[in-house]
Amino acid sequence: MEDNERYPELRRRLSPGWWTANRHYTMYMVREWTSLFVALYSLIFIYGLSLWAMDSRADFLNFLKNPAIVGFSLIALVFTMYHAATWFYLLGAIAPVRIGRSRTKPWQALVLNLILLVIISYLAIWLLALR
Amino acid sequence: MSQDIATIRVTRYRPEKDLKPYFQEYKVPYRQDMVVLDALNYIKAEIDGSLTYRWSCRMGVCGSCGANVDGEPKLTCASFLHDFKGRTITVEPIANFPVIKDLVVDMEDFMEKLVKIKPWIIREKETPPEQGEYKQSAQELERYSQFSSCINCMLCYAACPIYGLNEKFLGPAAIALAYRYIEDSRDQGKEVRFPIVHEMEGAWECTLVGECSVVCPKGVDPMLAIQKTKILGATNAIKSLLMPRGGR
Repeated sequence: MEDNERYPELRRRLSPGWWTANRHYTMYMVREWTSLFVALYSLIFIYGLSLWAMDSRADFLNFLKNPAIVGFSLIALVFTMYHAATWFYLLGAIAPVRIGRSRTKPWQALVLNLILLVIISYLAIWLLALR
Repeated sequence: MSQDIATIRVTRYRPEKDLKPYFQEYKVPYRQDMVVLDALNYIKAEIDGSLTYRWSCRMGVCGSCGANVDGEPKLTCASFLHDFKGRTITVEPIANFPVIKDLVVDMEDFMEKLVKIKPWIIREKETPPEQGEYKQSAQELERYSQFSSCINCMLCYAACPIYGLNEKFLGPAAIALAYRYIEDSRDQGKEVRFPIVHEMEGAWECTLVGECSVVCPKGVDPMLAIQKTKILGATNAIKSLLMPRGGR
């Protein structure tokens, strides 16, 4: 081998199971996969709203009562809450609010936003169904 | 002081001889205050002089001695041997970089990315030194302070699967450093750096795994810097659309 020639470097590739190597990778991958459920739920919801917009309120409610839709909605709710918790926490980390000399902690943003989510969801349910 | 024996399993790869990497096991006597780097130094001095690795300061400042210790990217000078008591310690080259020899990886790609983001204060017009320094308040310093603690150890790149899957990704440390200058009140180079950090393989390539911030030995939070960079980019884009003269 010539003096100025380099020996080959060892190039390694990530194995297909890289995301099982630690908890953070797995949580990340779960978030990626569950996005599909959230996207699917959004499509179902848009379909439901289109029924509502066409004045088919009874059809809309029957559609929502379908056990398959109820089951799927529950699963999607759990996954959506996981996404919500991730983004609410991140919101608190990226944009902390300065109060006096201290700044708010990410978990405070998480708790506050979850409380707001419950209140807004209740108001929406009240406006649409309970009123 | 009493001495225990640590079993260290080190990746060996000598491209002039080996087609594939393999593990070699060494027994190292150690004291309570010894770290993995001390064990590597002991191996090199007393057992096998051909073992190759990088190191310099031995106190978590230079960022040279990073390796995968027991599967996690760590500084070997900050990993105490007694923390692994009773088990074999596996030491491998950090992931996601090509290996040159044993534990030494090729840093070229990282160095190019560091330079790419222009890690220095850019001024529209430099003032002569006689006019004094560019002043900054404590609050202004606080905006970027943590991001200036990076020691370029590349552990965040080793922990980032996005970089592992796409080496064109600008990566955690480079984006965090770019953000450090973008947030520096003395810097006037936003217009130069913004296109670099917002290109296809810039901040938007990050999909929030977050492991970069977990492994950082200096408490820097590159994941946060990347998300803040995204927000700055998005608000800037909206401003340039809606505001007169692009919000300048």
